[in-house]
Amino acid sequence: MFEFLLNPVYQGWLIQGLLLTVEITLFGVLIGLGLGTLLAIGDIYGKKPLKAAIALYVEIFRGSPLFVQLFLAVYTVPAILNIQIDHGVLAFLVFGLNSAGYQKGYMKGAMETILDDQMQAGQSVGMSKVQTLRHVILPQAYRIVIPSWTNEFCSLTKSTATLAFVGFLDLVGAGRSILINNMQILPVWIVVGLIYLAWITGFSKIMDIIYEKKKIPGIELFMQS
Amino acid sequence: MADFVMEAKHVYKTYGYKKTKLEKNPNQQNCVNAASIVEAVKDVSIKIKKGDIKLIFGPSGSGKSTFLRCMAMLEIPDKGEIYLGDECLTKPGVDLNKARARIGFVFQHIYLFRHLTALGNVELALRQVLKLPKEEARKRALAALAEVKVLDCINKYPSQMSGGQAQRVGIARAIARNPDIILLDEPTSALDPELTGEVIDTLRDLAREGTTMLIVSHEMPFAREVADEMIFYDEGTIVETGPPSLFFNAPNTDRAKKFMTRIINRTTKE
Repeated sequence: MFEFLLNPVYQGWLIQGLLLTVEITLFGVLIGLGLGTLLAIGDIYGKKPLKAAIALYVEIFRGSPLFVQLFLAVYTVPAILNIQIDHGVLAFLVFGLNSAGYQKGYMKGAMETILDDQMQAGQSVGMSKVQTLRHVILPQAYRIVIPSWTNEFCSLTKSTATLAFVGFLDLVGAGRSILINNMQILPVWIVVGLIYLAWITGFSKIMDIIYEKKKIPGIELFMQS
Repeated sequence: MADFVMEAKHVYKTYGYKKTKLEKNPNQQNCVNAASIVEAVKDVSIKIKKGDIKLIFGPSGSGKSTFLRCMAMLEIPDKGEIYLGDECLTKPGVDLNKARARIGFVFQHIYLFRHLTALGNVELALRQVLKLPKEEARKRALAALAEVKVLDCINKYPSQMSGGQAQRVGIARAIARNPDIILLDEPTSALDPELTGEVIDTLRDLAREGTTMLIVSHEMPFAREVADEMIFYDEGTIVETGPPSLFFNAPNTDRAKKFMTRIINRTTKE
């Protein structure tokens, strides 16, 4: 039933698909974290027009399907602007921008639980708001946000399946290509599913360990209050 | 050279006043709900010389803490002036971060940086604000921690310390920069009674060294011992000032008299 796994060509497709999925997820989550942090700061400290722009951004990227965003970015936008951009770059970008829409919320939530007293403490020793953000608020917020971030990672990894529909050979793309050749629907999707499962479980476990190691001592007590 | 380390002139701070709304619609008086306005600081002036120890006390909710936070410009007064030496901090365009670097502040609820150890808490401003090199910052942080006698928990995080230890680290964080003055906002009132002693001992040491301090506190025996001047604060303003002997014997105002009686009764009962 699973003898297709011995075929070196299929093996190559699956490995290539996994690599693309991994790359694009990690990249997307990281862009999302950076941009999400900036959006969160903008939303907390910005003036009304900036807040409104950020809210609009979040609603667009959270409210529409990733597949539609990807399709527009890869086919429509370059055509309208009449420019040629590498599809890979566009796909990376869409995943980053999309993830930022979600991660802004996680970061804002984490920052708001600590902002009040820690900002005062930072300013009381002569640090500026920016310095306090950098040395006090963000280091704490990042540690608090790790579990939400792990969730975002899991969800984004599975969203990469949409890549197959705009012509990339991600894991689902690899599965489809194998299917076309061998017609073994169930075994192929079981294998693809297991690869996702293994990668996500492994990565989440690593993140759990990092969370426990980096956790601010006593933060549970604080978050309850 | 200014005569005073710090000075407040006719400072006002009000909460719940919807200024913007009123300015936009001056005719809509009902925008402001009178009950929601809290006049925490009403025309408060104070002068502090080098080496002074002044103690502000009064009923809770009277605005003492707000006034202290205005002194540190952690809250911006609505009206009035705050001077740090010669520099007027309430003028627009003043670098408040620089000014705050010269003021130590100790919070009622301690507010240590939760992700840093005791040592990290004290070091951070030395590195980031005074821009000291690593070794120098460490040396000064350790000296400050030694001064408040918490060298045994320099590697502990805030949640791993007792309240008394944490507050002493808070004091170390405030004094490590050698500020011109230290403002302390009820430094013992959030602590278990058996832990207040160690913090008071630390403050007593600072007093002995001639540290300039403005303290909001109800630790009366301590006040009697170290304060140069006591300030009775009620309903957003200074009601009466004088040496501890005045308050412990015969305050001039009824309000101060009543308050002293209540607080002394409470202390002796304990």
